[in-house]
Amino acid sequence: MTPPRRSLAASAALRVTLTVAAGIIVLSLSAMALQYRITARALETRQAEVLSADLSGFAQFYEQRRIPGLREAIEARAALTDGQEALYLLQDRNGTTLAGNIGDWPQALAPAGDLFAPAPLQEIVVGGTAYRGVARELPGGFPFLAARAWTPVTETLSGLRGTILWVAAGLSALALLAGWLVARAVVGRIDRINALADRVADGDLSARLPGPRSQDEFGALERHFNQMLDRIEALNRATHRLSDAIAHELRTPLNRIRQRLDRLQGQDADVAAIREDMAGTVRIFDSLLDISSAEAASGQRPGLVPVDLSAIAAEVFELYEPLAEDRGLSPAAEIAPGAWVLGERNLIAQLVSNLLDNAIKFTGPGERVTLTLATGDRHRLTVADTGPGVPEDIRATVFDRFTRGARDREVTGHGLGLALVQAIATRHGARVSLPPVCRGFAIEIAWPPLPRR
Amino acid sequence: MTDTARILIVEDDDAAAGAIAQAVRDLGCEPVVMRSYADGLKAAGLAEFRVIVFDRMLPGGDGIDAIARIRAAGSTALVLVVSALGRAANKIEGLEKGADDYLAKPFDAEELRARLRALLRRQEMVVMDNDLVTLGDLQIRMKARTVHVKNAHVPVSPKEFELISYFARNAGEVVTRMQLLENVWNLHFDPQTNVVDVHVGRLRRKLEQAAGHPVIHTDRGVGYVFDPQRDTVG
Repeated sequence: MTPPRRSLAASAALRVTLTVAAGIIVLSLSAMALQYRITARALETRQAEVLSADLSGFAQFYEQRRIPGLREAIEARAALTDGQEALYLLQDRNGTTLAGNIGDWPQALAPAGDLFAPAPLQEIVVGGTAYRGVARELPGGFPFLAARAWTPVTETLSGLRGTILWVAAGLSALALLAGWLVARAVVGRIDRINALADRVADGDLSARLPGPRSQDEFGALERHFNQMLDRIEALNRATHRLSDAIAHELRTPLNRIRQRLDRLQGQDADVAAIREDMAGTVRIFDSLLDISSAEAASGQRPGLVPVDLSAIAAEVFELYEPLAEDRGLSPAAEIAPGAWVLGERNLIAQLVSNLLDNAIKFTGPGERVTLTLATGDRHRLTVADTGPGVPEDIRATVFDRFTRGARDREVTGHGLGLALVQAIATRHGARVSLPPVCRGFAIEIAWPPLPRR
Repeated sequence: MTDTARILIVEDDDAAAGAIAQAVRDLGCEPVVMRSYADGLKAAGLAEFRVIVFDRMLPGGDGIDAIARIRAAGSTALVLVVSALGRAANKIEGLEKGADDYLAKPFDAEELRARLRALLRRQEMVVMDNDLVTLGDLQIRMKARTVHVKNAHVPVSPKEFELISYFARNAGEVVTRMQLLENVWNLHFDPQTNVVDVHVGRLRRKLEQAAGHPVIHTDRGVGYVFDPQRDTVG
């Protein structure tokens, strides 16, 4: 099994990159927006202060000498000030201009407010330029206008906006780069651990992360991971040692009994029966150990090599064919060539042998026993017979150890055959199923084909 | 076996060592028994042995690890591993690591003798590279893979030919079912039913029909003896 490649959208690396980048961008944009607001307010305040200073100057002149004083003051200001910078205008009640730097009262501008108070301000547009200022009607019907151009503010702000835009663009690029670097550093180390986990899941219990561990959390995670694997490996080794020890401790005394039996004279029938019983006992614990070792090795790659399932099936079928014929059965095989799998030849042969042995054992004369092997996305090996089938009450438990049908007590066996079949299939990543048949019994093993290189 | 052949036995269990030594004497050879891995390895280097019988779970080590060292030291002895580690997986491991044969405990004395005899024979025999093997009135042509009895062709299946070749290599000696399963079918597990008997039975009938007398004889339920020259009384 190769670890599934994560799609880019599902990749934590991409998400981390984007999140980090977005974070940096949002923070810096907020900072720049704040700066912009402060600048805008400062500029506005400054313009308002200049206007307010003008107005208080005019107020003094007006207080001292009324309209003539104000007229002189405005004339003086207007002479010094360009119309692009500020507007000043004083008219009499007939609309005749008394002083100012524009000729006419701007259209649609209604005077509002009292004398020279700095508020309320009005927006005034003259010749495409925006101004902000006051338009009043002084006592006696004298329209009075004082306003400062807003262009310095808007120009400064638009310049600032342009700068912000460029900075933001540059910053985004930098943020993406920074995010990518962070993601690569973080996700790269997680990927290392993931790759290790994949190797272990594939059965390589001795896989470890090479190189020195750093002192950070990742180092700790790697260390814990390695310690955990050491423990699993030790347990696995202990299991193997235990089954070796069981074999040794049981077989050695059995061997002594056997050797003593050979020295007995004159009770040949009894000796033969005892020998047969001993062989049966050994067969049972061999099967149990085979089952547990196949289960323990499930999914592990080491020990498996490419083998030709078709050839093995054909050989084992050929081994059993004469036996089936002698029992009056009609054996038949339909084996597609070239079904290669990753496996252990002897285990696969034992699986096929157990299936055929069972089929022949439980099927009466005149019935059929068929072995088929079909190649495909999974190689399907099926052994079917037209015998009595499996009783419903044990159908669900046929793969459990020591399951035997009540009516099969007469047939030799210990109910471990199918449990071993299941264990060997699992060891090879193959699936066992009992396809429904009209008559008899069928069992199918679906093998994962040899991965193409 | 003209010269008394020496056979080294490395086995820590007394009963097993005794039984193996007895089997060795039964074959007219001289047993030398060692009790530990280190002693066994040392002995293998000191004298010339025809066959070395090595146990696996020995004090000091595993017999199959000794095989490569014995071979590296230049010994031509054939190695028979006799071990309580008797599952198919253990046997395959042993054979892959260079054992010439592997017998599981508890073993039958007859089976052990058959294995030892086959190894001694293999030692004696110059490889059967001559194409024609003649045993009495039976002729086997190795390259053409044909069998003739009294100059009449006996049709055999490919597996039957392999069976007859193995028998021919051990002509006159007891060959057990387990040996046949391992050497002819290359299977290292114990099938629940005696499938081998059916195959041998068929071949036996074919040969007997052609020869007019039994060619393959049954030996006390232990195995078979292939002997085309034996008298019909056999």
